[in-house]
Amino acid sequence: MEEEFIKNNYTDAQKQEIFDKEFMPQINAMYNFAYRLTLERDDAKDLLQDTYLKAYRFIDSFQQGTNAKAWLFRILKNSFINDYRKKSKEPAKVDYQEVETYYNSEEVDRQITPDLRVESLGNMIGDEISNALNALDVDFRTVIILCDLEGFKYEEMAKILDIPIGTVRSRLHRARNLLKEKLSEYAKSMGYKTA
Amino acid sequence: MNTPDKKNMKHECPHQQECLQLLQSILDGEATTEQKDRFMGHHLEECMPCYQNYHLEVAIRDLLKKKCSNEAPQDLVDSIKQKVIQNLSK
Repeated sequence: MEEEFIKNNYTDAQKQEIFDKEFMPQINAMYNFAYRLTLERDDAKDLLQDTYLKAYRFIDSFQQGTNAKAWLFRILKNSFINDYRKKSKEPAKVDYQEVETYYNSEEVDRQITPDLRVESLGNMIGDEISNALNALDVDFRTVIILCDLEGFKYEEMAKILDIPIGTVRSRLHRARNLLKEKLSEYAKSMGYKTA
Repeated sequence: MNTPDKKNMKHECPHQQECLQLLQSILDGEATTEQKDRFMGHHLEECMPCYQNYHLEVAIRDLLKKKCSNEAPQDLVDSIKQKVIQNLSK
């Protein structure tokens, strides 16, 4: 983000004001993002705290009047990749590029026609959707959180994730197909009619 | 979108994947007004698979918003504020 190259010299009072009025209102959304990335409450707490202290330390590169939420989400995502993904307990991941190439192939579009109906969603009153979301690969999980939960625009997501807009669009489409697939498995295992 | 007459709707869509991508950009607020009007105003009223997809997409988004948000624990919020105040007084 270009605003990183701008250096402000905020006074302590200004810093405190930015922190309270721009950063703190995002804390619940930020905590949820941290939790959905790490999938561990303790890691989420550490990640959130690290991110907020980092945001404070680099507050001079935050331009007032710009999107604080996107700025904070980007710091959190980078901290996650640099500090948490390595020590994550998840088993070794498939090379992401490979996954993306696979899911971008036309063949998958034909294969994935999840057989899911609105009526079976109505019965998912527990943790089904949360578990389905958590079961997705972290890159797919991330775009769904940013778009569907937090309402970021594709352009903002591209900046937060450092990927082109076209990749945002296609990754989001695959992610939603995969989520429907998971939900459809739940629906079947719970014995709901899916067709 | 008006409530369509289900008897007169097509039951197969030759462009279902493309339509789904377009539908998602409409719901994401990323489509043009023209795309939106054409799809929501015309296509959805005559195409059953896309009409069902529309309702499914909306229902999933509602469920995600309702079920997948967690609030930060208050003690964590307090501790973060505290640490920043300490930083300021240095």
